[in-house]
Amino acid sequence: MSETTHPSPGRSAGSQFLGSEQLVLALILAALCIAISIAAPQFYSEANIIAILRQCALVLIVASGMTMLIITAEVDLSVGASLAFVGCIGMAALNATHSLALGFLAALAFGGGVGLINGLVATKLKVNSLIGTIGMMMMLQGGVYLFTREAVQNHHHIAAFTDLGAGYVGPIPVPVIFAAVIFAVAYVTLRFTTLGRYIYAVGANEKAVRLSGMRSDRLKLFAFVVTGLCVGVAGMILASLMNAGQPTAGRGFELTVIAAVILGGTSLFGGRGSIVGTLLGVLLLKVIDNGIIILGWNQDLQMVVPGVVIIVASYLDIMRNRANAS
Amino acid sequence: MNWSKSLLFASAATLAMTAFAQAQDMPKRIGYVTNYATHEWYQNVIKGMEARAKELGIAFEVQDANLDIAKQVAAAEDFMAKGVDVLIITPVNEEGVVPLLRQAKSNDMAVVLEGNPVKGMTTMVAICDYDTGYHAGVEAGKYAKENLNGVAKVMNVGLPLLSATVLRSQGFMDGIKTEIPEAVMVHDLDGGGNPDRALEVSSAALAKNSDINIIYGINDNSSLGGLQAWKAAGKSQDGLLTVGTGGEGLAFINAMENEPSYKIEAAMFPEKVGFTAIDAAVKVFNGEEVPEHIVSPTAPMIGEDWKKYYSVEGTTRTVNWEGINSVQAPEKCMKTSADLK
Amino acid sequence: MTNASTAIDAAATGPSFVARLLRHQEMALLLCLVLVIAFFSFTAENFFSVRNMTNVLGQASLALTAGIGCAIVFISGEVDISIGSLLATIALPLIIIMNETGSLALGVSGALLFGLIVGCINGYLTAYVGINSLIVTLGMMFVLRGGVYLYTGQRAIPDDAMLDSFILLSDGRLFNVIPYSAVIALILLFAFAYMMRHRPFGRQIYAVGGNQEVARLAGYDVRRVKFICFIISALLATVAGIILAARVGSAQHTAGLNFEFQVVAATVLGGVSLAGGIGSLWGMALGVLILQFLSNGLRGLGLPTEWQLVITGMIIIAAVAFDEAKRRRANGG
Repeated sequence: MSETTHPSPGRSAGSQFLGSEQLVLALILAALCIAISIAAPQFYSEANIIAILRQCALVLIVASGMTMLIITAEVDLSVGASLAFVGCIGMAALNATHSLALGFLAALAFGGGVGLINGLVATKLKVNSLIGTIGMMMMLQGGVYLFTREAVQNHHHIAAFTDLGAGYVGPIPVPVIFAAVIFAVAYVTLRFTTLGRYIYAVGANEKAVRLSGMRSDRLKLFAFVVTGLCVGVAGMILASLMNAGQPTAGRGFELTVIAAVILGGTSLFGGRGSIVGTLLGVLLLKVIDNGIIILGWNQDLQMVVPGVVIIVASYLDIMRNRANAS
Repeated sequence: MNWSKSLLFASAATLAMTAFAQAQDMPKRIGYVTNYATHEWYQNVIKGMEARAKELGIAFEVQDANLDIAKQVAAAEDFMAKGVDVLIITPVNEEGVVPLLRQAKSNDMAVVLEGNPVKGMTTMVAICDYDTGYHAGVEAGKYAKENLNGVAKVMNVGLPLLSATVLRSQGFMDGIKTEIPEAVMVHDLDGGGNPDRALEVSSAALAKNSDINIIYGINDNSSLGGLQAWKAAGKSQDGLLTVGTGGEGLAFINAMENEPSYKIEAAMFPEKVGFTAIDAAVKVFNGEEVPEHIVSPTAPMIGEDWKKYYSVEGTTRTVNWEGINSVQAPEKCMKTSADLK
Repeated sequence: MTNASTAIDAAATGPSFVARLLRHQEMALLLCLVLVIAFFSFTAENFFSVRNMTNVLGQASLALTAGIGCAIVFISGEVDISIGSLLATIALPLIIIMNETGSLALGVSGALLFGLIVGCINGYLTAYVGINSLIVTLGMMFVLRGGVYLYTGQRAIPDDAMLDSFILLSDGRLFNVIPYSAVIALILLFAFAYMMRHRPFGRQIYAVGGNQEVARLAGYDVRRVKFICFIISALLATVAGIILAARVGSAQHTAGLNFEFQVVAATVLGGVSLAGGIGSLWGMALGVLILQFLSNGLRGLGLPTEWQLVITGMIIIAAVAFDEAKRRRANGG
């Protein structure tokens, strides 16, 4: 089996990019794309593919961090609320400094800071992260309105800022490049580094890791901060796409991210998971979202279909495991 | 006494107040349970209420349901237990506050509704959503005739969740058809009323139908989300018209100043709604005869029109009451939520 | 997870120690509740009045009823986050059947039947198929909410039958003091608390959540126990949904949005561990009451929503952190 079930995945654990666990997802995705394309040829138009990829990029950036975090057996429900807040902070900093670098830095500092606090609450205060980050979610939802009553407008008119969301490098949208880089870093880290191995180990068996002299708290803290930084990046891209810092943005974003991660086969109990699975999960959810509009179906199905897909994919995965075992 | 149309606000408000004070008993406390206090629209409704209550010397308190019907019921119960004299409610959902009205009646509590009509209500202060969309639609039609070769292919960034927003979209399409009978709604989207969701669904719709040339949003978040999707797709704004609704914050002013396609905004003057609601509360408290629907005016703003009603300094927007009070409200709405059923 | 080790430690030292520990924990929560009530009695106008106190009980009845199910599922070592969507969903059969037949009994039966089906699906997929319960109930949450939107076209369905018995559930008060909704919640709380403490099935739930292997060796049918826990949770969420439908006189498509967060937060605040095997329904009830009195008091102070959110968030984190610290000290680590 692939690295996903192994507590400490070594280089020997199989070098194929697509583990057999992800095969089910890849097949569902392929079948879906073909079916939608037959029904509505606009689906594979350049404009639409770019639109899908740009939406995927936002989710994938945060989901990359979230995958690491969930592998360490923690979770962060505050990413949606943080996403909105980061955009407002970044935009305000841009307006104040007229410097893209400083604006970006402010966004990263805020996102990372939220991650750090989440991490400290989980590791030092020992608050279950499901609860701790619900608390953080509430504080951020309230806090963003204390920070700004309305959307922070673009008063700086920096052209490079607009490119963050809407720009291209060659034919590729800028957000997709950000997502690709972050995904690649997360992939390499989890797959080929000692740090990655420890991350799996800490989720699989925290006690054993602590006995072996490592600081499991630090690893978890690291994963929280990485997730927060990813939110910082995504928040800036979203602010650029909307040309404003929107305090109302990001509603339900945390559920999309977490749904993509667990759809990708990462276990909520930690120690098991794959970032490639997350990528497929993100693509699947966003293709469904897009396909329903392209086909002109009732948009309420955008809730029903992902719900069914999450359950069916998990079911198929378990059936496949059983077939392999017998 | 139709003071709202004729009086200059600043100088005559005191006059009006004395006139009120002589004719009527003032309630001591008014409680307002709003639907969604952090939204700009309600922020401005509350501002209008606060200003008017202060003038009349009434203690005014606000509770926020934050879009949660269960919380709305709880907050209204709190107010009744506290013993406010009049309750103003913006229902999270018009069917959901029927038991509240029943409870209020059994407690002899005067209630004024804002926004949506409810079975068994005394009176409601609200704009006409259908008319708001309709008049903006007529203006959009005229614009399209002149500048878009008479073609109108509309992407509606809507919100099916609320009857008010459904009415706006319907009104817009009916209005535009008075000028361009062959106008069509190419896409009827659920943008959730949120900028990021509106952006996402609009991206998909624009990818499917590249011939769209008018974006209509049921609020500013929706129209701006649609426009941002247009820009993110790398399209030029030549040959595009964007129409927003609400006009409650700075966002639309920013867009009208900076975005070449953002030409029309259907203004709904939330401050005026708040102002009118407090006056209605005073009347109901005194047992005066009030119409079932007190209409608060709306008007399409084209190009620089917004300067008639608002002035902006830095990041604060101030109301020009003279301008807003000069807008005529219709006696009755062309269509209401009752027509949707 | 850190809680897992605590669970095993606690299980190892025997039930008398667990009972002592729990009693201890509930005392701390009770103290916390008294402090909240005392604080607002001095600061918020009209807080400490019979009317307001009983109002809060009525408002708490939703989270209290659904919280029983949430706590039981937690104790069995699983989670159920579909309850918020279920709250909205069961109002459809309830209101539609009542409008058609004019019978409260038929409407409630329809709602309970629907809840039962959802509980069976959640329980079957988790206990017998073996899918993680967070995934199952997350999927169910989307399916139910989307289903309600689809079916209703995002319109609320009014209660046209206006049956006296149904209206009594919203407006009626026992002895003209305590809302009937609160009475129902309290009866259910007592009944299930008795079951959890004094009936064999309650002990089985604690055993299954504490250590599945041990429970299996003791001859308990782990799958069946979990299956039933999900049914209990769905049925109690159904009862909460019926109460809510009465309070808002209609089937609301947005009812119960984020309700699962509220209930989960109150349950964990009440000392029920997500790792399973630990906690009590009394603790959960105190957690619910603390949060309800808190939000009522904050409203009474006239604080705007943003401050209410910030303060509630901080208090949830602080309370759980305090509880964890105390537990660790009690465990000598």
